[in-house]
Amino acid sequence: MIVFKPLAARAAPIQSTGLIGWMRLNLFSNIINSVVTLLIAGLLLMTLPDLIDWLFIKATYTGESQDVCNPDGACWVFVNAWSKQFFYGSYPLESLWRINLSLFVLFVVVAGSNFLPKNLRYPITVPALLFMPFIGLALIDGRLFGLEYVATDYWGGFSLNVLLAAASIIVSFPLSFLWVLGRQSNMPFIKTVCVILIEFFRGVPVLALFFMGSVMLPLFFAQGINIDKLIRVWIVLVLFMSGYMAEVFRGGFQAVPAGQYEAADSLGLSYWHKTLLILLPQVIKVAMPNILATFVMLFKNTTFLLIIGIFEMLATVQTALSNSNWLGGHATEGYLFVGFIFWICCFSMSMMSSSIEKKLNKSNV
Amino acid sequence: MSETDIQIKKKPSFINNPRNRAIFYQLLLLIGLGYFFFSIISNTLANMEARGIKTGYSFLSSTSGFDILMTLIPYDATSSYFQTFVVGMLNTMLVSVIGIFIATILGFLMGVAYFSKNWLIRKSSVVYVETFRNIPLLLQVFFWYSAVLATLPSARDSLSVGEAIFLNIRGFYFPKVINEPLSILVYIAFAIAVVAAVCLKIWAKKRQDKTGLQFPVLYASLALLIGLPLVVTLLSGVPFQLEYPVLKGFNFKGGVTIIPELIALTLALSIYTGAFIAEAVRAGVQAVPQGQSEAARSLGLKEKKIMSLIVVPQAMRVIVPMLNSEYQSLVKNSTLATAIGYPDLFTVFVGTSLNQTGQAIEIVFMTIAVYFAFNMSISFIMNQVNKRVSHIER
Amino acid sequence: MKFSTILTGGLTLCLAIGAQAATLDDVKNRGMVSCGVSTGLAGFSQKDENGMWSGLDVDVCRAVAAAVLGDDTKVQYKPLTAKERFTALQSGEIDLLSRNTTWTHTRDTSLGLNFAGVNYYDGQGFMVSKKIGVTTALELDGAAVCIQAGTTSELNLADYFRENKLSYTAITFDTADQTRAGFESGRCDVLTSDQSQLYAIRIGLKNPADALVLPEVISKEPLGPVVRQGDDEWFNITRWSLMAMVEAEFLAVDSSNVDNAMKNGSPSQKRLLGSEGDAGDKLGLDANWAYNIVKLVGNYGESFERNVGMDSPLKIARGQNAQWNNGGLMYSAPIR
Repeated sequence: MIVFKPLAARAAPIQSTGLIGWMRLNLFSNIINSVVTLLIAGLLLMTLPDLIDWLFIKATYTGESQDVCNPDGACWVFVNAWSKQFFYGSYPLESLWRINLSLFVLFVVVAGSNFLPKNLRYPITVPALLFMPFIGLALIDGRLFGLEYVATDYWGGFSLNVLLAAASIIVSFPLSFLWVLGRQSNMPFIKTVCVILIEFFRGVPVLALFFMGSVMLPLFFAQGINIDKLIRVWIVLVLFMSGYMAEVFRGGFQAVPAGQYEAADSLGLSYWHKTLLILLPQVIKVAMPNILATFVMLFKNTTFLLIIGIFEMLATVQTALSNSNWLGGHATEGYLFVGFIFWICCFSMSMMSSSIEKKLNKSNV
Repeated sequence: MSETDIQIKKKPSFINNPRNRAIFYQLLLLIGLGYFFFSIISNTLANMEARGIKTGYSFLSSTSGFDILMTLIPYDATSSYFQTFVVGMLNTMLVSVIGIFIATILGFLMGVAYFSKNWLIRKSSVVYVETFRNIPLLLQVFFWYSAVLATLPSARDSLSVGEAIFLNIRGFYFPKVINEPLSILVYIAFAIAVVAAVCLKIWAKKRQDKTGLQFPVLYASLALLIGLPLVVTLLSGVPFQLEYPVLKGFNFKGGVTIIPELIALTLALSIYTGAFIAEAVRAGVQAVPQGQSEAARSLGLKEKKIMSLIVVPQAMRVIVPMLNSEYQSLVKNSTLATAIGYPDLFTVFVGTSLNQTGQAIEIVFMTIAVYFAFNMSISFIMNQVNKRVSHIER
Repeated sequence: MKFSTILTGGLTLCLAIGAQAATLDDVKNRGMVSCGVSTGLAGFSQKDENGMWSGLDVDVCRAVAAAVLGDDTKVQYKPLTAKERFTALQSGEIDLLSRNTTWTHTRDTSLGLNFAGVNYYDGQGFMVSKKIGVTTALELDGAAVCIQAGTTSELNLADYFRENKLSYTAITFDTADQTRAGFESGRCDVLTSDQSQLYAIRIGLKNPADALVLPEVISKEPLGPVVRQGDDEWFNITRWSLMAMVEAEFLAVDSSNVDNAMKNGSPSQKRLLGSEGDAGDKLGLDANWAYNIVKLVGNYGESFERNVGMDSPLKIARGQNAQWNNGGLMYSAPIR
């Protein structure tokens, strides 16, 4: 007779839900993982409390001068006192609305290019975008609109970083587009010139280009003609950006299916119709994540202007550090603050870029 | 509409002929460029004459008159500006090569860490990439130099390992190896070991192709590369001497010094570029279809082997072109040395030398030419690598 | 239509045709003196939280503006780096360069520039930590030296150490703040810079009393304002604006007693302030040019004390920069 012999009960499976299960799965799945987890956790425990203590708990926030600061903590008084300089430079207080308006218009135009209905999008945003830098420049300068004139020496701070980066990338759009068309054309001389231009501005350190703008460019103009330093730097930034953007666009052109070219040709469209109406919209759409990434690079690179003495945000921090009333060594606070502001901007732009990329990938599938 | 209505012109009109148009446009560009360069050059010459700026490269042979913190070739204040140029160039090369090396390792580690099973490792990878990618590099250079390295102890309270290796605010000191006559044997042994390792690799590949048997090439080559020179060293009676760094007067003398400026710049460059490389690696790995690793798993390959034999080789096709541009930007970004005083080409040549001579055009031109040449060589090498990795493509 | 206005507007934004000959007319037309200053040098040209410029070099700009336009605020400050300062002056971007520029033979003779005088006698010096027990620069053999990158500091340092057969390592920093941080963290044993900056760096230290400025001064650095060659009228105005400040101190005229001195002062006071003689006329300026300078900017002594002297955080003693009758080098030609 067969006797029913139950198998010995198995142990319950390892808990895989709840906090403990999650930790087991994600932190302590094997010996190496456990060791690494403990190491990282130990490192965090060693550094974080001191850091928080210095950054927030022992820090001094408000006050008039550096004398009120606690030497064991961060002196945010420094950042507080100089915050207007950090954001707007020496721009006259009563005219700050002009900078704010320019930034706002920039924001609206950029946002508009995403939210306007499709049929209005190009006719409105493209001209707006292309004229925006010049209008913004004129507004901040003031003379053209009959406002009080503010020389470029008073511009500065973070708003200068933003506006300079935006004005450069926008102006570089048409220029780089021409360069990349030249590079793809079958006219040998034009092709060579464009390849040289693109490779030159991509291959040279931006710092060397800035030096060219500040020291060499003045020698290139006829005697008696001065071009404002900021404008010179702007020219240099536009050319630099065009080199990078041309490569981005080239990638975009390669991503457009060959059928699009052939269809446009067989419809008998002219070269410019084909390029501007059929290819350009697709190229921009495909290249958008890369355009954003290039912009982030440019935006970060505007801090290099410090080295040629333009009062962008980082340079303003250094000026503040050399003021005889603030000689207490607040470099760390200043740099942390600048780093934080840039991080917020760049991080949100990278987020935007990757979300666009995801959307693109979905629509392609 | 009858057939005869459509007349195909044999020749388009003169204006509409694409060839004529092309010639016209190119001529226009040529004239424009010609005028542009003519006016720039004539303006520049007139300006330089009016402002008493010398032209030409004769300044290269005159005495520089200043000292440089770190030089790979002998240099002092009596050396010429050309030597300054070479010193700067070598220093730029040094920081670029080390930076590229570390950035690649760090980038690949962090890129692969994104796919780790450990939540903490995964998150550290994300935090690392998103933090260091989005903060201006100039700030990071300042951070490593003035916030981190400045906390090291002074020369007298150095951290040391066995009185031979020292670390302090003035740099990282370690003993220098001095060759004796017999040491040539050791180098010969090493060369032989390298050749043998290559032969071994070829033989093992052939054998695997024929018989399917694997041979532990890595361990065998390592044993050869380390073992053979070691044996020769011992047999020839250790033909080396060590020169230890010693604290004399104000500073350590002797041994090899790595200055903190180099350490800070290398750290900043490789951590910044590493973040971009990690991102490229992540994108590359994600671009490999899921089916590839699933198929490998169902063939019974181990997880490690799947990564190294199936996923990474395919991901390389996406990664290598991105590496090319990241390496190039690392070289270009090394100019930020000027912010912390590491004596790279930019600091000593566009900085100090330009200040002394005032010859902006020549100096900027030479500097640009060097960076251009560096980047072209990187591009060339990476294109060769790219050909090799994309060769597998079907 | 719209396009052309924007184009012309853009052109006016970009181009400023600088006349090379008559800087004075230019300045009067513009209603502004365009003055090249440093991007930030404690006590000499510095910006405060409100974007106002102050400093000893800045006061020269203000004095010229007060003399020419009667208003010391009519100055357009152009912050310049060391590399671009001469180009900016040569190209006409600025009317006057007052950016702690050392007067040297080469600069005066070959760059098409003229130095209008000296507003600060400086010299390169050394600062050490008291802990290392060094009292003279000759004991510095083998030391690591932090330098604030200048134009001549590296050369002076190399010359000095070579002359005295001492070895050293030079660590060059870009800004005063970095140099201070390098010295404080112990990256170097000695810090060298122009003496005026040594004091600025010293008060930035956590413990200024620990640092010692060595007695050696290894170079001569007469700093002064610079103008373009070939415009003698403007050169005279700049030179005499500076002289007027020095002379006012010598004659004991300051911003508080200037009104009284103009009415009831000695003959030389009256000649300076324009109530007697025609000093202003000869410069092509108003009679009260020097009155404006003293009233609005102050005399040299006031400017010195306010910016770098005892009334400032820097607390630099007058030393070489005292009046000649007090053992210094500040000497104005008489105004008569």
